Amino acid sequence: MTTEANTAVEEQEAKPLTTEEAKERALARYKVERDYFTENREAAKLMVEIGPEWQLQVQLLDIMLDAKEVIIDCVENDKPFIAGYFCNAPELFHAMDLPWYMIMETPFLAASAPYLEGDTDASVEIGMSQDLCTAIRLPIYYIETGQMPLPTVAIGLLTPCDGTPMLEQVIQHNSAWKDVPIYSCDPPYTSDERAVNYYAEELHRMADHITEHTKHTYSVDRLREVCEESNKTYSLWQEYNELRRNVPCPHGWEIGGAQAFAISQCFVAGDPRCTAWFEKLLEVGEERVAKGIGAIDRPDWEEKIRIFWFDIMPYGWVFEFMPWMEEEFGAVVVMDMFGNFPYTMIDTTSEETMYHSLAKRNLLDAPMIRQARGTAENFAGDIRRIVEDYKIDVVVWPGHMGHKDGAATVGIMRDTCRDLGVPFLHVGLDLYDKRYTSVEEVKEQTADFFRGMGLA
Amino acid sequence: METNIESEAYQTFVEATQTLNNTELKNWKRDGGKVVGYFCSTVPEEVFTAAGLAPFRMRATGSTNTELSDACFSNINCSFPRHAMNLALEGEFDFLDGMVCLNSCDHVRRIYDNWIRNLDTHFVKVMSLPRKVEQPQIEWYDDEIKILIKDVEESFDVEITQEKLNDAIKLHNEVRELQKEVFRLRTVENPPLNGVEALNVIVAGTAIPKARYKVLLEQFLKDMEGVKGKGGHRVRVMIVGGELDDPEFINVIENEGALVVTDSTCFGTRLFWRPVSESYDDPVTALANYYIFDRPSCPRMTGDQERRMDFTLEMAKEFKVDGVIGERLLFCDQWSVEHYMNNNDLKKAGIPFLQIDREYILSGKGQLSTRVQAFIETLEGKGIKYEEVV
Ligand code: SF4
Ligand code: SF4
Repeated sequence: MTTEANTAVEEQEAKPLTTEEAKERALARYKVERDYFTENREAAKLMVEIGPEWQLQVQLLDIMLDAKEVIIDCVENDKPFIAGYFCNAPELFHAMDLPWYMIMETPFLAASAPYLEGDTDASVEIGMSQDLCTAIRLPIYYIETGQMPLPTVAIGLLTPCDGTPMLEQVIQHNSAWKDVPIYSCDPPYTSDERAVNYYAEELHRMADHITEHTKHTYSVDRLREVCEESNKTYSLWQEYNELRRNVPCPHGWEIGGAQAFAISQCFVAGDPRCTAWFEKLLEVGEERVAKGIGAIDRPDWEEKIRIFWFDIMPYGWVFEFMPWMEEEFGAVVVMDMFGNFPYTMIDTTSEETMYHSLAKRNLLDAPMIRQARGTAENFAGDIRRIVEDYKIDVVVWPGHMGHKDGAATVGIMRDTCRDLGVPFLHVGLDLYDKRYTSVEEVKEQTADFFRGMGLA
Repeated sequence: METNIESEAYQTFVEATQTLNNTELKNWKRDGGKVVGYFCSTVPEEVFTAAGLAPFRMRATGSTNTELSDACFSNINCSFPRHAMNLALEGEFDFLDGMVCLNSCDHVRRIYDNWIRNLDTHFVKVMSLPRKVEQPQIEWYDDEIKILIKDVEESFDVEITQEKLNDAIKLHNEVRELQKEVFRLRTVENPPLNGVEALNVIVAGTAIPKARYKVLLEQFLKDMEGVKGKGGHRVRVMIVGGELDDPEFINVIENEGALVVTDSTCFGTRLFWRPVSESYDDPVTALANYYIFDRPSCPRMTGDQERRMDFTLEMAKEFKVDGVIGERLLFCDQWSVEHYMNNNDLKKAGIPFLQIDREYILSGKGQLSTRVQAFIETLEGKGIKYEEVV
């Protein structure tokens, strides 16, 4: 714990911001992030000629930016909105007509932003331990320094790791956020029917909490409409994933899991814009498969190693690493942790069946929650399924410094891969901060591994 | 570690703390008794006592390396489960007839997964502990305890009746009351026992069959009657943290002149400061309420930080501490953020706070001494006016 850090916090507490000041400060940062995405969108627009995938990126950024504008409008005009997470059944927020932003949006979606490194360092300066997940440290830093929009209601997340409940407790502890009513669904460790029913009740209580504090509610018909739309999205996603079984895989790391996750779970769950995006993705994928085009569309290139990247993409330094793997080794990320989960369809028969399915999808399916919330069998089972379904040659466990439950599952993952006869690579890095293990080191480790395994 | 306590009971406690399979446990097993190990103080050990089993709180005392468990864990995992698993793989826990784990943290919960894949213990189970402290969570845990009871009954061919559970709760509460008595000896200016000795007493209570421990504890309290108070310390401190079962850590602090007079740790007051209520009709309801809500919680329980801080302040006031030392095992996310909040809250209350990150097997004693010494210097002569802060 550095002295400077404590001084920083004390200084801030010595001059508490007025509500108006806090609002302005949070809004200013939020706008900086919006501008960052706007620049990204403009850059993506210039690439549209290269391929329709860029059009998909532009559409995704349009949706993200719209969502940001809506939040800005809510803050500026005192309209109710939620700060929450993806696996809190966002279909319910949508059915209630409540905009929301994700508390961990910055590390998840803006990990390449130029301000990320500085903010990561500042999180340590206010007193966070360096061994705490960067994705947790950043939102804590933003909350503690008044840089996150104060919502009408907060919906917390108590899974999949020890970090998220601690982030929630900082929210409850922070003087500016203290009055924000917060609700978090309690995730059971088990995955049976009893667990799903309990989680469905927790979702009910969450919905009641939101209604109590925003006066927004939903009709069962509206919820059904949203869930049906959401089901369409998930069916399309499933169909698209079937395409990724092809050799060569039609897409690599640039498009697929992460974007599909962002769009279906973070921004427009159960919205026709989301469905339209997936329709386009499927169309683009089908076209490539029909033409036999792989992740890189170049005559002198071929897919040689099919990778299951068992985590989030390293967005902080993805451009420095993934293209290198493709170019040097023909190594293609065919599937990643966010790309494939069982996609429980929502049974829209009644309100109860919808809650039950939403509980299942959000507790048992949602990426990362699905793997890390419960026992290690969830990791092992996913490896077995994905390796077989996608003809995987190598399973990569990046070993993100925040994923301590995964770190304690490394032996089990290795054994699972050995039983399957598939090489397993464990790196040890920070998905959000390339200074933890440099890109050069990660490359070296990867190259040695591929060579050692006779894959290159 | 020197002591002026002349007590056979105390010697038994020291032996139980310094070893795993201690003499009392060996005697218990020799007489046909069975032992169930458990991780985390939120496992309702009363259930094992009611089943006629000896509950044994898992530690990694005596471990020297993690060579075997390195195949299961990574270097970003807490050293406690790594050492504990290593000992298990070395066969040091072969005296256990059962092992119960909880999803207490990201590191410990994987002990269960690695254990079932590598070891052949008769009864192994993981329980699902909620993350909140409200009524639905009490009810969830109530069911979890009922499932545990059923599983124990089946595995050990015993019947756990309500009466047996009530008796176990009563016995454990009596033990808690005696442990409180021991701790209250430390409220005076020159307490007859120091932090090292107190930790030996409490750790032993998690490793010796409860009824026997109670007898020893009563004897110990009698033996303490004539013991001279310990003077010569420069300041009184409290320890706040998690998995602290190593008296040597306290010894280093006390050698610098800080007397450890109380704590909020899970081998400390959080185990016994509050009793299980005996006013419920159903003992399982009583246990569920106790483990989820009534006992002082640890950071893994959300929505409860304010009560935890109140408990820390209550202890600090009652034991008149000059400062608080927050200990954390490296890579523990829960205590990392909790101490960040502790630091801010205690500063506001005017109570100095020092955070120490450590490994389970004590290393870097010199550095620890230096930091403690510097802390003591900032505390000396300050004096906290508790009437004003709490
Ligand atoms: S440890 Fe993993 S699951 Fe937890 S916050 Fe960090 S990235 Fe997310
Ligand atoms: S100290 Fe923290 S990480 Fe280690 S076992 Fe305890 S709760 Fe888990």
